[in-house]
Amino acid sequence: MAKGPDTATRARRLLALLPHLRQNETIPLARLAAAVGCTPAEVASDLTTLTMCGVPPFTPFDMIDLFIEGDSVTVNLEAPGIERPLRLTIAEARALGAALDAAGYAPRSALRQKLFAVAADSVSTDELERTVRAGAAPGGIADLYATLAAAADEHEKVRITYFTGSTGRTSQRVVHPWALVNRLGTWYLIALCEGVGEERVFRLDRIRDARDTGEAFTPPSAVEYAVTPGPERLPVAEIRFAPGAVLPDTRSWPGVVFEASGDGSTIARMPYQTVSWIARRVVARLGEAEALGPAEVRYAVRTLAETLLRHSTDGV
Amino acid sequence: MPDAAERLVNLALYLASSRVPVTANECRSAGLGYPDEQDDATFLRMFERDKDALRAAGLVITVDRDDESESYRLDPAATFARPVELTPDELAAVRAVTAALSADPGFPFTDDLALALGKLGTAGVAGPLATADLPNDADDAQPHHARTIAEAVQSRKTLTFGYTNSAGEQKRHTVDPYGIFFREGDWYLIGCDRDLDAVRTYAIGRVADLGVNAERPRTPDFERPADFDVTRHERLPFEYGLEQVAAQVRFEPDVAWRAERLARGRGTLRELADGSALWDVEAGDLGRLATWIVDEGPAIHAVGPPELVYILETGLRAVADTHG
Repeated sequence: MAKGPDTATRARRLLALLPHLRQNETIPLARLAAAVGCTPAEVASDLTTLTMCGVPPFTPFDMIDLFIEGDSVTVNLEAPGIERPLRLTIAEARALGAALDAAGYAPRSALRQKLFAVAADSVSTDELERTVRAGAAPGGIADLYATLAAAADEHEKVRITYFTGSTGRTSQRVVHPWALVNRLGTWYLIALCEGVGEERVFRLDRIRDARDTGEAFTPPSAVEYAVTPGPERLPVAEIRFAPGAVLPDTRSWPGVVFEASGDGSTIARMPYQTVSWIARRVVARLGEAEALGPAEVRYAVRTLAETLLRHSTDGV
Repeated sequence: MPDAAERLVNLALYLASSRVPVTANECRSAGLGYPDEQDDATFLRMFERDKDALRAAGLVITVDRDDESESYRLDPAATFARPVELTPDELAAVRAVTAALSADPGFPFTDDLALALGKLGTAGVAGPLATADLPNDADDAQPHHARTIAEAVQSRKTLTFGYTNSAGEQKRHTVDPYGIFFREGDWYLIGCDRDLDAVRTYAIGRVADLGVNAERPRTPDFERPADFDVTRHERLPFEYGLEQVAAQVRFEPDVAWRAERLARGRGTLRELADGSALWDVEAGDLGRLATWIVDEGPAIHAVGPPELVYILETGLRAVADTHG
């Protein structure tokens, strides 16, 4: 059986519920559950507990009075004294700050300051920003993130300028932003690309800018959150790593499978979406890795290395 | 007898609705749920714990003292939040990121985030579709450890833990935690290792058997350096190394806009007359910087030092020869 929260944690949740209970209102349990981060069943249990609470002398008129019917609760008498939300505790401010880090909001940015104004006086938000950093997103994407989130929320098409890493080309596209997905700290936009009429995945740090078009789109009934196709649907490149080479991890080479060879080298079987992507990964190992096949990958590796060599002295 | 959570809510409501400060004994006899048969010492310990729990929930309880006794009251201005006005874009961003992280078991602060949103009034309303999968692997200890360490950072309590380094060596460490950061699927701790008397960075995913000094829980164990800033320790992969070398990297004009995003606040960027961006950055490992330049390209070039250009050119030549 799952262990329930300790008394102090449960009391925090009960107190967090109180400002949401407005007299003479009928409120869906799901809405309350979302507001305090628990399940509707847990919120129903919490509400039952609250009917036992009140202030002296604990007459029926001094108690929280509510009743649950089906999937909603009706409040007859709200809690005396706690009608407004409490200010953020240090733990809550830390959680919120970490979330804003993840969305690319820099320390002391305007949104952070606006939200941290709700923190308790005892919370040093400056100290939080200097000690906890969930900076999952590269700098400078906060405005982009907000634009895309709002467009996804309002079902509005956006025009993006996108840098394709595998080709180095920048292109303009009109997309239907369906969802934002974070994988290992990197944000991706899952969207329908109007130009090709198909779903595409865009890395946010490669979107130079995004502008509203003012045009609406109809969202799909369901969105699959996968940012890469399953490896079983991809061709596989065979890469040999020299003995003693540091092998890549699965973050940078997702889906890779290693096999040790008798001569001390390692053979990696790596699913790839585009030849140019896998070629760049091999070239970046600067001689520690050799593409054994397929031939198109081997050719692309040589071509890319020669191209980069021609431009390598292209200094200032 | 009411359960402990009911007693805490009753005490909060009593303090919030009382027009005058109330003493501990008034709270005890008000029928809030303190057991009748308790002796004075036991009651006072429970009352202290209850006040701590309410303070941890966000209630600001002030103490009025006179010669005879102490009395308590709620400070409404310090306790209750004012409404926050967000623009539509800000609200959508907050809803998207919190929707994603609240549902990710790899995010260490999910419960606190949910309560924060409830207080801000941004929870409970459908927002944009968003999801997250932060941690590097299925190791469910990492977010739990990250939360415990984050709390120790704030309370400045010393940690002890077992640690397996990248070479597979295991050792027990005693560390004063200064800060934590997240990068590419992993959380990291920065702290002063007491045995080494030096600041070190530890991958939290490699931490086991984590303990927080339980002695004198309200008293910090150490002082954090006044100028500590976790962002200075959040390095790029090529910055790690014993000897730091000044390096320069150039972004062609068409991709100069990427420089700020890729630099992640490290080093200094300047725009050149032709529209390209020049990045001055310290590198502890020129080989890894050369790899980084190829990985993040195209249209990114090594400018200096000459060793960096040499490593890059030699490596590229080796690749071309091997695949010829």
